[in-house]
Amino acid sequence: MATTVMIVDDSLFMRKMLRDILEEEGYEVVAEASDGVEAVDKYRESRPGLTTLDIVMPNKTGIEALQEIMAFDPAARVVMCSAVGQESLTVAAAQAGAKAFILKPFNPELVARVLREACEG
Amino acid sequence: MDMSQYRNLFLSEAREYLKAINDTVVALEEAPADRAGIDTLFRGAHSLKGMAASMEYGDIVEIAHSMEDLMIRVRDGALAFDPGVADLLLEGTDLIDGLLNDVETECEPRRSPGDLPGRLSGYAPKPFDPGARSQPPEPPPTRSSAPGEPEPGKETEVSTVRVSTELLDHLVNLTGELITNKHRLLNIGRDLGSPPLNEAVAETSKLLRALHDEVMKVRLMPFEAICDRFQRSVRTLAKKSGKELHFELEGREIGLDRGILERLTDPLNHLLRNAVDHGMEESAERLAAGKSARGEVKLSVSRDRDRVLITVSDDGRGMDPERMIAAAIRKGLISATDAQQLSPRQALMLACIPGFSTAREVTEVSGRGVGMDAVSSSIQKLGGTLAIESEPGKGSSFTLRLPMSIAIIHALVVRCGAIKGAVPVSAVLRTVELRREQVTTVGKSQVFQMDDEAIPLLSLNRLLGLPLGRFPDGIVPLFVTESKGRRVGIVVDRLLGQHELFIKPLGRPLAKLSGVAGGAILGDGEIITLLDVAGLL
Repeated sequence: MATTVMIVDDSLFMRKMLRDILEEEGYEVVAEASDGVEAVDKYRESRPGLTTLDIVMPNKTGIEALQEIMAFDPAARVVMCSAVGQESLTVAAAQAGAKAFILKPFNPELVARVLREACEG
Repeated sequence: MDMSQYRNLFLSEAREYLKAINDTVVALEEAPADRAGIDTLFRGAHSLKGMAASMEYGDIVEIAHSMEDLMIRVRDGALAFDPGVADLLLEGTDLIDGLLNDVETECEPRRSPGDLPGRLSGYAPKPFDPGARSQPPEPPPTRSSAPGEPEPGKETEVSTVRVSTELLDHLVNLTGELITNKHRLLNIGRDLGSPPLNEAVAETSKLLRALHDEVMKVRLMPFEAICDRFQRSVRTLAKKSGKELHFELEGREIGLDRGILERLTDPLNHLLRNAVDHGMEESAERLAAGKSARGEVKLSVSRDRDRVLITVSDDGRGMDPERMIAAAIRKGLISATDAQQLSPRQALMLACIPGFSTAREVTEVSGRGVGMDAVSSSIQKLGGTLAIESEPGKGSSFTLRLPMSIAIIHALVVRCGAIKGAVPVSAVLRTVELRREQVTTVGKSQVFQMDDEAIPLLSLNRLLGLPLGRFPDGIVPLFVTESKGRRVGIVVDRLLGQHELFIKPLGRPLAKLSGVAGGAILGDGEIITLLDVAGLL
């Protein structure tokens, strides 16, 4: 059975791109969220097998959303999306329980590999 | 990965971010410590950078990246949000907007980031600028929304669909054709005298009215859609003319037909430019007149039943009717005799006569000729009216009354010779049937009295080059309209009544004819032209 995924990013463009990459790789995208508050809500509803979480978002940052998701479900598999220059934030995200990181702009092969490892690990 | 499939999505979302940044910059100038605004700017630049990087648009990435850096310094308190920061960010969004246009038209980039990225990341406030104190921003406000509580406005965001404007135009077109056909059915029903048919047609009429209203609502766009241009232009104008002013916008949420909205930008820009450049005094002059140093220019939009009112007002020096009359006589636009008949309200409307300008000098900002005649004629073409109010020393206000939609209008249908013409009811002040003896001759023109005012009469037949009517029963039918600030009675052969018409553009070469604004088909299949009376006079 395909792994279910939730994509969280405030940019529709980014969500669409990531969705296309993931569906190409055989994942089933079950939810999308455009800010931190929505991400936590939808996580509770859809309980995806994997979540990609953007760091810079309105109404609650990715790190804040990550903390809430991990508190709700310590087994959650969350992969953070970050951009160059956000190294300090990646440390905070790793401490909060993020499984891995994917870097923007997305490289489809790299994204696929990181997500596969996150699912296995 | 083939990125070209994402291009349109990229363009539309990138423009949304630019608009959000522009709006927020202007808002922050009023409240520079607003934490949420600063965060929005940072996120906007950050998202633009990420999207452009995915599309491999290096120039946009470079500019957005430097904008993001600048906003990080502001966010972290190293820099205050001062006018210099605002200028640089707006310069950045302008440049990115230009680059997006290049992407869209698939032409070679016609601009480059130049030194802007350097100026953005190297920005330091001027040492003697009192507004540039490096004040630490206020602590972030505590978030009021509890987890799980939807943010206001979230619901509508999820339940909207993007539809191409072309599709909307088709819908309007079809609805219009249905309404034309309804009139045809009404005529047939009348001829047949069949009650069940008439009942069914009446019911269909009601449904069509409802359908028309809904389709028109779909075409409505909030005034907001064109707001940011005005904020930008007022800001630039104030800077150029060195005047200190506060610009206020009210009623952004009011909806107008897309077609009207598109054609409002120029007239409103004219009015705002006049307000800033001519209406508003320098600070010193304002202080001397006992006013606050900072002037106020306001653009407000409101609804009045099925009409939308847009008012551009300022608290500047106002317009003096006496001086305007004197200027109009001096320029030979009106005669001294005409002038005596003008009320103060009509005197203000002289501003709308081509060639009239009371500005004492030509400035770089407004150029020659204030363009009020252009404003007035474009508002009339939209089926709207323009009213001017002003008090010397206190300020002026220009009010546009516009229909919410344009394609289907109510028109007065008249007959001249063998021709039927339609005039939008918005352009008709009154219809009158005069007895011949009520028409008197003053000088060279024929006039009649209405509200203690002598209204000159013109023949529509003559304007259209048709044989003049003879009025065998001694009754002269006419409608009163306003042109260049003066009321005029337009005499026709017959007034045929009010009709609901679906107006279509005429296409070339007919569209080039002055005095004709469009065409429509009546229920019996007859073609009728929509007259642009102002264009005929």
